[in-house]
Amino acid sequence: MSKYRHVGTEAQRPEGADKLAGTARYIHDITVAGMLHGAIKFSEHAHARIVHIDTSRARALSGVRSVITADDVPEVRYGFMRDNLVLKKGKVRQFRDEVAAVAAIDPDIAREAVDLIEVEYEPLPSVFTPEEALAEGAVLIHETDAAGRPRTSNVVPLPCRHASGDLDAAKERTAHVVEGTYTVPRIQQAALGTSGCIAEFDRNGNLTITTKTQIPFLAQRDFNSILAALGLEGRNVRVVVPAVGGAFGTGLDTHAYEYISILLAWTTGKPVRILYDREQEFAYLSPRQSASMFIRQGCDAEGRFTFREVDVVQDNGAYTSWGATYPNVMLVAATSLYRVPAVRFDSRIVYTNNTYCQAMRGYGNPEITWPIESSLDDLAAAAGIDPYEMRLLNSNQPGDVTPMGLKLATCGLTECLDRTAARIDWKEARGPERRTARGVGMASLINVGGGGKIYASDGSGIILKLDDFGHVNVAYGGVEMGQGLHSALTLMVAEALGVEPENVHINETDTATSPWDVGTHASRGAFMAGNAAVMACEKLRARIFEHAEKVYPAEVERNLARLRDRGEDVSPAGFDYTSVTRDRFDLQGGRLFVVDAPDEPWLQIDLGRFLRAVHFTKEGGVGTIFTEEAFYEPPTELPDWDRGIGNMSASYTFGVQGVEVEVDVDTGEVRILRLVAVTDVGRVLSPQALRGQMYGGIAQGVGYALYEEIKTEEGRILNAGFTDYKMPSAADLDFPIELEFVETDDPYGPFGAKGAGEPGIVATAPAVGNAIFDAIGVRILDLPITPEKIIRALREKETAVAGAGGG
Amino acid sequence: MSYDYHRPRSLAEALDIAAATPGARFVAGGTDLMVQIHKRAAAPAALISLRHVAELGGIDNGARLRIGSSVTLTELQAEPAVAAGYPALIDSMRPFGSRQIRNMATLGGNLCNASPGADAAPPLLVYDAVVELRDRAGAREMALEEFFVGPGETALAPGEVMTAILLPPRAGDVRSVYLRKARVKMDVATVSVAALVEMEEGSCVRARLAAGAVAPVPKRLRDTEGLLVGSPLDDATIARVSTAAADEISPITDVRSTADYRRHLTGVLLRRALERLRAAPGEGVL
Amino acid sequence: MREEVAFRLNGHDVAVEVDVHRTLLDVLRDVLGEMGTKEGCGEGECGACTVLVDDAAVVSCLYPVCEADGTSVTTVEGLFEPGGELSPVQTAYLEFGGTQCGFCTPGMIMASVALLAENPDPSEEEIRYALTGNLCRCTGYVQIVESVRAAAELMMERPA
Repeated sequence: MSKYRHVGTEAQRPEGADKLAGTARYIHDITVAGMLHGAIKFSEHAHARIVHIDTSRARALSGVRSVITADDVPEVRYGFMRDNLVLKKGKVRQFRDEVAAVAAIDPDIAREAVDLIEVEYEPLPSVFTPEEALAEGAVLIHETDAAGRPRTSNVVPLPCRHASGDLDAAKERTAHVVEGTYTVPRIQQAALGTSGCIAEFDRNGNLTITTKTQIPFLAQRDFNSILAALGLEGRNVRVVVPAVGGAFGTGLDTHAYEYISILLAWTTGKPVRILYDREQEFAYLSPRQSASMFIRQGCDAEGRFTFREVDVVQDNGAYTSWGATYPNVMLVAATSLYRVPAVRFDSRIVYTNNTYCQAMRGYGNPEITWPIESSLDDLAAAAGIDPYEMRLLNSNQPGDVTPMGLKLATCGLTECLDRTAARIDWKEARGPERRTARGVGMASLINVGGGGKIYASDGSGIILKLDDFGHVNVAYGGVEMGQGLHSALTLMVAEALGVEPENVHINETDTATSPWDVGTHASRGAFMAGNAAVMACEKLRARIFEHAEKVYPAEVERNLARLRDRGEDVSPAGFDYTSVTRDRFDLQGGRLFVVDAPDEPWLQIDLGRFLRAVHFTKEGGVGTIFTEEAFYEPPTELPDWDRGIGNMSASYTFGVQGVEVEVDVDTGEVRILRLVAVTDVGRVLSPQALRGQMYGGIAQGVGYALYEEIKTEEGRILNAGFTDYKMPSAADLDFPIELEFVETDDPYGPFGAKGAGEPGIVATAPAVGNAIFDAIGVRILDLPITPEKIIRALREKETAVAGAGGG
Repeated sequence: MSYDYHRPRSLAEALDIAAATPGARFVAGGTDLMVQIHKRAAAPAALISLRHVAELGGIDNGARLRIGSSVTLTELQAEPAVAAGYPALIDSMRPFGSRQIRNMATLGGNLCNASPGADAAPPLLVYDAVVELRDRAGAREMALEEFFVGPGETALAPGEVMTAILLPPRAGDVRSVYLRKARVKMDVATVSVAALVEMEEGSCVRARLAAGAVAPVPKRLRDTEGLLVGSPLDDATIARVSTAAADEISPITDVRSTADYRRHLTGVLLRRALERLRAAPGEGVL
Repeated sequence: MREEVAFRLNGHDVAVEVDVHRTLLDVLRDVLGEMGTKEGCGEGECGACTVLVDDAAVVSCLYPVCEADGTSVTTVEGLFEPGGELSPVQTAYLEFGGTQCGFCTPGMIMASVALLAENPDPSEEEIRYALTGNLCRCTGYVQIVESVRAAAELMMERPA
């Protein structure tokens, strides 16, 4: 039996009933009195000089309240490298560049006005691949950096590299080497709820922005800069996060549309809402970054890794967002997935005239795990070793310190490998008895599970406020976006404080009332919130028990009096309740009691009653109320990116996915027959929410492996909508997915738990790729693995075989 | 994007409104036209709804099977006469959009949109479907094959409406099948094929082949089907047919597939279709 | 052009004057304030806007509002009495984790209700097929399918 009353129980989602009733309020459902509707005029070129913008017809349209271009408003720089302007000046560098915006009394008028804005351009040469952008004499996308210094190449100055071990010596010891260049496409996060915000100013110049974001506090910092530009330096920015219809990384940065709604709210003096529809979400938000990854790895004669080399080139698009820091996260798996004694990692991020990229679930990890785990199977084949055995042989172990300096306090990788192999019937499914064109494959993963430090602080604050009735209001700055943060946090607060989950209420995320949090990403929400909650709960309990010393005797006497009134004879049985000391109290299930006599009803005080007794104190004393805050900063290091060293997470989550596939060798279609995912999550906090995270991540992983790709032509997106961009439906995911969780009880995790939001998506594609390789002997290096690529590879294989036979 | 919306109750009323309203378009289920309007790819001055025009509903199993053009795909799926006589048409309905879409979309609408990949077209082509068109001057009939002119283009004259789809009765050992491939289950077909053979004493006496999404219009593969007539459905014939089809199609590359792969798939699907017809009559699968 | 459109919405008669080019989704949300029904794509692909018109599931983003005239429309708000219990389908989704971010949920629920009305005891395959037109990016559908199956059991035990 679990030692916990609430943690690990099958609890329902606290905000679930509102979502099911249709009463949860998303940005699309919120209107504010007097609100105007904003719309944006986007670029019509991938790269062009702006010669002239004529807004006269738009301004003349009835119902239009404001039309702005870069000439009408102060210049506002934004983005990770401050290389982006809210409204573009001088030139556009991508199709999604914002050149003008309109506020009008209804959305149709705003859209019509945008169509009436005429922009004259002078097209410039464009580059659409890193190769083109890196070529001698390539056009510069940014002539200067944010500080005005001239730039000489299209390489984004964000070094991220690593070298450890003696690479030359390691190569000497190497018996087998494989190499390949693997690519991954841009894909859409495709949250069902599109993006949007409402900005409004009060008469004192303070800004409130209700917006779909994952980073309310970094957004607050970003929006301070726009207030400064508007001459409102020092005024307050309040960021409110409504119900979020999925985010998956889209909310990890501030967006031009948010700044534009602020500018329009300022120019009109009215609240302004901007909503993206699905087509805009595809065309004008940042997708997941594409990458090309060269990998070379070797092993000795027994199959032990000797070295690994990785060179990453990422197409950044025209501006820089957090997607450009994917290599920081790629380092984790590149250096630390399996024991590899010598590692070299280099990366280059390159500006192009494609749309700029952003974060998505896994953040570099699904990308880098694709080459590492695919090439591992090739290496195993070269060495004549079963790939499962090879993984076992090289598996990380608890206590390891990896080449990057990651300290693996817990590591269940070996157990995950064994359980996956058992569940997927590894030996039999790969054996000679199997049906033709069937195969199984597996892939492992390591993911940050205790935050991921890529910013000055990776901390989270929490405030717990007890009311007079035994309810706990929780103010936390992280964002519930469907992942189940509130499910896990509710259980953890209930557990750590000693109340029932239904008495825990998590407030809407609001920078005015929630303490600082770096943002909801990197699988960190439940880990951080839980650690902060445990700290705050301990403080609350200490104060409650301190005050209990004073009020407890009188409250017990009230219990006794009530029982005597009812005619029940309760004898105190010699128990001295008049002088219980603070260390003898406990609080469980919302009832205060004494540990020495936990089962006596007359010795139990309802928490609400206790709180009122302390608050509205009698005998002329001074009452008090109970609110506690805590700030948890994980014991991690901001890595030195130039060396690629630093323990960026407090804990590391491991996992393995195993997949069985059948390939239709005539059509090239891949059918997944079953999928097994075993994950070391430290501790299961909320089983329902955890399963949801795993299933959902795996579904996205299947999409990444087989279906999804943003297609562009000269920088323009060709499949901006669900008709042309396909992700799997319920009917496509028609195979059993078996989940299993390994509980390694991490010392840094709340109740031993490690982050689990991202791992589901990380290992799916290489597991599928390895299964296909096992089934038909061809390896596709570029995702997604479409039927067409399989047919092409099969033909090439036939030709090669025929050629070899003929020669 | 504002437009008028008319809901005539009779065909005569619908035709009168069309005649009196320049820039008006007929709309039935709206599952295609409303998308185009949403994306601003279409901007009609008015829509004339055909949902309430009594003459366009209903399925009548007379000398020919008459399917009203406004019959929804859900209604069509539930019709025993269609299931019994024209199984490939039923098979083409299963992967068609979603349940919500099939509850709205109509058979006539699917044909009038004239998408090269229109799911209902290949089966109807192999069943020698005839469409009934009507304007204020009167009615005419036309082979479905002639109805398709180009992507999104049909033989409909301005102000003319498709009123019904007519299917000839079936007799003899007629077998038919519909097969399609798409990137995911709910997707426009990458390639679809329908095949029909009439067998007599082990030999094919009549053959119809049609394919979708491989040419500017849903295409009857006349040259290829000629290879079947007079032959048994043996491996050699089937191989010849599935190779020959490549010469008769002109697929394009788009977001769903390259032209090359479409060519390849057409051959594979035709082979599978014919193998299926050889094995069992009238069976189709997804 | 404006016209009066009258229909039953969740058991109550409504009559509204609307621009005839509006969709049922627009009118439900912007005129009638029924915000449960969501727009996920506007092109009938994602199903977030699914409602029942005369008991048939349709995508309200493509449904001309004029066509609702004289019909009975049910949205997610019409599945339960205010202050009362959630419907069996909603209860099952809550218990089995069929909702995450919740944005696809009202449409998913309506498609599930339509399925169970037609087929009270669907197999997993039938559930998956019936929900093909409802995209979800969060759940991978596993817990949704479990929820629909559980709802079927619940409704067979306790017929409404």
